[in-house]
Amino acid sequence: MFRTICRIAWASLVRRSSRSVLVVVMISMSLWGLLFMEGIYDGMTEQMISNAIRSDSGQLSLFAAGFREDPGLNRLILQDGQITDCLAGDRRVKSFVRRLRQDGLAATAHYSRNVMIYGLDLATEQRHGRLDTYLTQGEYSFGAKKRGAIIGARLAEKLKVKIGRKLIVSAQNSEHEVSAVALTITGIVRTNNMALDESAVFIDMGKARELFMTPEGVTQVSVILQAEKDIPGVQNTLRRDFPTLEILSWDELYPALMQSRVLMKGFNLVMSLLIFGVAGLGIFGVMLVSVLERLREFGIMLAIGTSFDQVRGIIFTESFILGFSGFVGGSLLGGATLLYFYRHGLDLTIFGEGLEEFGMDVITYAVIRAQYFTTAFAAVMLATFVSVLFPLRLLKKANPIEAINKA
Amino acid sequence: MNQPFLDVKKISKIFHPGREVKVQALVDISLTFDRGEFVVISGPSGSGKTTLLNIMGGLDSPTAGDVFLDGERITGVEEKFLSRLRRDHIGFVFQAYNLIPVLTARENIEYVMQLQGRSRSECDRRTREVAEKLAIAELLDKLPGEMSGGQQQRVAVARAVASRPKLILADEPTANLDSKSAEGLMDMMQSLNQDERITIIFSSHDPLVIGKAKHSILLKDGQVTADEFPG
Repeated sequence: MFRTICRIAWASLVRRSSRSVLVVVMISMSLWGLLFMEGIYDGMTEQMISNAIRSDSGQLSLFAAGFREDPGLNRLILQDGQITDCLAGDRRVKSFVRRLRQDGLAATAHYSRNVMIYGLDLATEQRHGRLDTYLTQGEYSFGAKKRGAIIGARLAEKLKVKIGRKLIVSAQNSEHEVSAVALTITGIVRTNNMALDESAVFIDMGKARELFMTPEGVTQVSVILQAEKDIPGVQNTLRRDFPTLEILSWDELYPALMQSRVLMKGFNLVMSLLIFGVAGLGIFGVMLVSVLERLREFGIMLAIGTSFDQVRGIIFTESFILGFSGFVGGSLLGGATLLYFYRHGLDLTIFGEGLEEFGMDVITYAVIRAQYFTTAFAAVMLATFVSVLFPLRLLKKANPIEAINKA
Repeated sequence: MNQPFLDVKKISKIFHPGREVKVQALVDISLTFDRGEFVVISGPSGSGKTTLLNIMGGLDSPTAGDVFLDGERITGVEEKFLSRLRRDHIGFVFQAYNLIPVLTARENIEYVMQLQGRSRSECDRRTREVAEKLAIAELLDKLPGEMSGGQQQRVAVARAVASRPKLILADEPTANLDSKSAEGLMDMMQSLNQDERITIIFSSHDPLVIGKAKHSILLKDGQVTADEFPG
């Protein structure tokens, strides 16, 4: 009997091809829009988080106690040798970098700005967070004599400086005296991490130690792990081994980003509901009309001995074929679109200024998650099946002759 | 005394087309039919012919009274039982043909047999058999929309006959046909009645068609005014 039901459902779909194609296209387009939006919005959020992790916090950051509330060279991590040994021996750790940071002033002949001076090692940063990929001008180097500086793009705009220009960087050293050094701007980076783009001056670690008169110790150790799920485990290990240090995860350092992620999930959910609400109404309308216009046909089937369960089976089979075809079409379309934007990115330059204000990249790379497709499948099937419940109820109430005569 | 094949006992039917409007379609009708009869129910429009056929076929329920088919009560029973009864024991031919529009003639004819769970080869063999008898072999791959009214009605008869029912109920089967097609169809139904021993009850107000019946019932205003065996 199942074969007969399938054959009749299939014959009905094939011999009413225009209607079938219309429903499939409608479901496919709704799904395509939904998948595209989910992938792009998640891509935006994940890029913001990734930028913060790569350029600054890592997935975990280690600070001396009290440094974050009151940054100063009197709050250094002095056991960085032990930390290095510990992190290097942990398989869950992918990479880590050590940084020496002090607030200071950067000045040109005409302008000056408060800045954050970072002493770091460019080669390690390149492996750790691919800092070099943020370079927009100049070269990823401090020069042969290590007298170069790489600065944030917004800072460069505010100081009105270009590559090759001189910059006087001054800061309080560990002796509480003011030290200064003249540097040449060798590179400009745009990380889309607002704090760094507006005020970061990256200099060579050795030069920073001279400037701050700190022969040992660092202010931050940034750690990137092999897998995000390992964050709590590694955090606990480090807290146990270095109880005097503050060990914070990226979301503790950037709570706003975590909120963005949660907010975006909620936004995606609402958008999904809206899109499927509208698409669901469309599907409902088409399925309703398609069953109502065939009330006579179903009446005939009932009259000549088809049971109501079999008629229901035919209608559900048709709905399933339509819904599943729409899901496959929408998934292929949406998946291909997401794959394209995952590889090439979506260029949103026309909204560039606005996006940068929020710390978002102008080129957004889509995210593709299996979960998009599983939830979409559930939503399509739900919308399709719910849409035939009302006409089935109508059919159930009428006897075969009423169904034939009504039509 | 033998029990009748179809026994209609004191059937009444009242329709309620409006909240306070009542139409008495059948009034206290009692009839009996023997197996293998070729019966016509005639009468003017609105006399209750279609309503009576629908109730005898389990498509509608009476307001009062009972119908027994082969000694089994078919009124006041569950829809599932009626559905099985229509599938296995009753064939229907409607005035408006009522073929399933998305199925070809062959699929329409095979439909009830497939519901009955007959094998592919049996369905195929029986379809060819009735198609030849009703001269529709060349129409088997056509959709209803591609056939004339007379052709559709012959396919409808083939569908009703193919599943070997005990009873065929035909509601004005010739009403939409020209006189030549109507006579041809009636001859075919008569030969099926004789060859396959199927009880056929049809309604009509066409004198030509009525003349072919062996048992004639006349209805007027929902009541039986004549119950005769002319031939």
